[in-house]
Amino acid sequence: MLTPSLPAPTATKPRQPPAPRTLTAGERWRLRAPLLPALVFAIALTQVPFLLTLYYSVQSQNLLRPGSKEFVGLANYGKVFTDELFRNAVFNTVTLTASTVILSMLLGIGLAVLLDKKFLGRSVVRTLLITPFLVMPAAAALLWKTSMFNPVFGLVNWMLSPFGVDNVDWASRYPMPAIVGVLVWQWTPFMMLIVLAGLQSQSPEVLEAAKVDGANAWQTFRRVTLPHLRQFIELAILLGSIFIVQTFDAIFMITQGGPGQATTNLPYFIYQQAFRAFDVGEAAAAGVIVVVATITIAMVALRVISNLFTEESA
Amino acid sequence: MAEVAYVNASRVFPGNPPVRAVDNLELAVADGEFLVLVGPSGSGKSTALRMLAGLEDVDEGTISIGGRDVTNVPPKGRDIAMVFQSYALYPHMTVAENMGFALKLRGVPRTRIKEKVGEAARMLDLEKFLDRKPKALSGGQRQRVAMGRAIVREPSVFLMDEPLSNLDAKLRVETRANIAALQQRLGTTTIYVTHDQVEAMTMGHRVAVLKDGVLQQCASPRELYERPANAFVAGFIGSPAMNLKTVPLTGEGAQLDGVVVPLPREVLDAVAAERLTEITFGVRPESLRLVGADEGDAVGRAFELTVELVEELGADAYVYGSARVGDRPERFIVRVDGRTPPAFGQRVRVAVRDLDEVHVFHPETGERLSG
Amino acid sequence: MTTMVATAPAERAAATRRRGARFRPGNIGVGIAAWVAALAFFFPVLWMFLTGFKQESQASTDPPTIFFTPTLDQFRSIFARDFAPYLINSLTASVMSTIFVIMLATPAAYALSVAKVGRWRDALFFFLSTRMMPAVASILPLYILATNIGMLDNITMLSLVYTAMNLPIAVWMIRSFLAELPREVLEAARIDGASLGTEMRRIILPMIAPGLAATALICMIFAWNEFFFAVSLTSTRAATVPVFLVGFITSEGLFWARLSAASTMAALPVILAGWVAQKWLVRGLSLGAVK
Repeated sequence: MLTPSLPAPTATKPRQPPAPRTLTAGERWRLRAPLLPALVFAIALTQVPFLLTLYYSVQSQNLLRPGSKEFVGLANYGKVFTDELFRNAVFNTVTLTASTVILSMLLGIGLAVLLDKKFLGRSVVRTLLITPFLVMPAAAALLWKTSMFNPVFGLVNWMLSPFGVDNVDWASRYPMPAIVGVLVWQWTPFMMLIVLAGLQSQSPEVLEAAKVDGANAWQTFRRVTLPHLRQFIELAILLGSIFIVQTFDAIFMITQGGPGQATTNLPYFIYQQAFRAFDVGEAAAAGVIVVVATITIAMVALRVISNLFTEESA
Repeated sequence: MAEVAYVNASRVFPGNPPVRAVDNLELAVADGEFLVLVGPSGSGKSTALRMLAGLEDVDEGTISIGGRDVTNVPPKGRDIAMVFQSYALYPHMTVAENMGFALKLRGVPRTRIKEKVGEAARMLDLEKFLDRKPKALSGGQRQRVAMGRAIVREPSVFLMDEPLSNLDAKLRVETRANIAALQQRLGTTTIYVTHDQVEAMTMGHRVAVLKDGVLQQCASPRELYERPANAFVAGFIGSPAMNLKTVPLTGEGAQLDGVVVPLPREVLDAVAAERLTEITFGVRPESLRLVGADEGDAVGRAFELTVELVEELGADAYVYGSARVGDRPERFIVRVDGRTPPAFGQRVRVAVRDLDEVHVFHPETGERLSG
Repeated sequence: MTTMVATAPAERAAATRRRGARFRPGNIGVGIAAWVAALAFFFPVLWMFLTGFKQESQASTDPPTIFFTPTLDQFRSIFARDFAPYLINSLTASVMSTIFVIMLATPAAYALSVAKVGRWRDALFFFLSTRMMPAVASILPLYILATNIGMLDNITMLSLVYTAMNLPIAVWMIRSFLAELPREVLEAARIDGASLGTEMRRIILPMIAPGLAATALICMIFAWNEFFFAVSLTSTRAATVPVFLVGFITSEGLFWARLSAASTMAALPVILAGWVAQKWLVRGLSLGAVK
């Protein structure tokens, strides 16, 4: 269940000692001291690099030609925005993230509903189901690329052979669905776990009340359970999206962004610009754009999270 | 051993507008006294206690313990012990460790701690549980550990914040008596917070009634019951509550459904001085009685009540009925003999037993007007 | 953890006892469906595990080889190919970063939940936002910085990056455990005469110890599985297990058995840890928001 730990700022319950009356500057710093190391560290390793990225993005610099650095203003941004490959990467990122999140959420809800019932070996089933999420993504990608997707010896084709599927090279003929498939396999357990926690936080009395009121199983799910699950589903989608947008391992291992640029998403695009083309300026500009986009979306998302907490404590 | 004094002490929670959780509290507690702070939720009684504990700032005024001003002293320097509503036992420590923790922090030698803990455990019948963790105890046992933790400290003041509210009804009554007896024996000044007026009346040497952060009255239970200082205290203390009605005045007394209840001269004088046409008239259920048709003279001074509900408690019964006051119906509660209660729907006549038992309050301020 | 988790399962158990007194055929259908789904999801992992014990000739066949005599040849050959340093690097990076994270996050979480310093909400969301920022935005400067100070391909550098990566998760998670501490227990400690240090050492830390362990485990899992920074910032000396696996995509070939053995060893520690820590997993993944 969601913790009621973030109280609404206005909630001044008499039980909660509010901020002490007047603190001297010294006292305030003493209180703040435990926070500082973490804060300084986080700023040093995330904010400072971002500022540097901002700086690089207005320079023309190629690591292969040392000393080539010069100020070019917004030229890199212009280059990125007119770059066909960049737009392709944006499109791929959106496709990949949206389809993975939606499919794994639907599957996750289904599995969570099953797991919320009592049956023989439920805890074993739960354990087996969370395993794909635990497997090192790089190892999982390697496994799917070879044993699963191989056109000749792959298990996917072997399983589908009774249905007339034969020798399909999944990773090159259907690269995007193949990647989405792997990611859905990986992320369904994540969605399932959060939705399951939501289901289990529902009071059995509420369900019994619905039953007494004459609701059938579907009506109970649709009208009682689903509204209760809403905030859990939102949270899962939010967190899932943050992680899935950054997908790199599966693409690097399975398709290397190909064939052509068919599966190049933004992280892979920037990686290529930086570490294959060594075009620091353009990579940095693309990085800045991604951050700005992410932060815009995250602002909305953060408000959702924030609401989740305050609603709960209200 | 020490006396406690709140001098114009206030706690103001920041906000818009600021909330005066405790407002100008002026209260002196004598050495060895058992004082109960009582009031409805939000009355500031817990805040007042926490101010004394040092867990809540004193924004205005001062607080002293044993003559020493402790307004700005941290909790550990106040020589107090506190029993919390949730008991607040340390879950990772055994019963013995819980009880000895404060002494250990004070650097008391191990053997001395063991001795003291053993002594307290004997007093509270906890000897068998000294090595258990709080999780393995029942609610009543946990409550006793919390008491024990306070006793072992030998503080100059005990603070108790609704220590019985998590116990079931039977255990609560039992523990109530035990705490009172223990306090008697130790003779330690005790401030006890509760919302339960029965606890307040049965345990306290004196009871302080709070409402909206303001002290209403502080007096012995009897005094509180017999001479409530205002309409709020009158209605809060006593169960079922006192009948409190705003009624029109005539020259001699209060007008109730065609009957005039005569009021003492000094009340009428006070009323006349204030030029009131109405008063808040209060009479406890046991101060009313049913009047038989054969009582002749008394019948004329009784008013009529239509019975709406009868609560039978065995020895007594409470009759809830409505009577006309002015032009509106008002509900009255009357205590009657449990063996011959009237029936639902019946019309009965009711009279005040003794005019000394009538309370009169100011209709707006609620202040007591009768002597 | 204290009240919620303690009461919820009991309530539920009572409820299922009420409901499940009579045997219901519907549950068999549910059971079968769940088992089929579980086996389907688990199958690839099982297959990876099995393939690791095959000979190369049995690893890629059509139809797939199901019965075979297990062999440890592949595991041996992996260690012969110097797998050990990668394992040690992974272990070093995970453990070091986790120690840093806990040391930094615990006091910070204390300041943000128990002491409630000014603007604590802003600080909390600042930490969260650093986790939301894509790694690609900071990789370039980190790479250039590491190159300039000679810390490229350095395990300490990688550990520091992992520390920054896991810090928000740890702060949020530990904060959620601290928020569950009953306030009155801390007040009782203060009345009992505990100083801030004593309160921390004798009361708070013992009470949140299970939570700290869970947080550490989650951080280790994330660090162990991390790929992007490992591939970008290390090459030979500090390369971790995921980087070792990259070797298999270039040498293409059909060394499926060896590759599966390597993947199994790479994945196994986290799988086992995750199974053990199942009940903390949701909490860690949701930043402490969902129990």
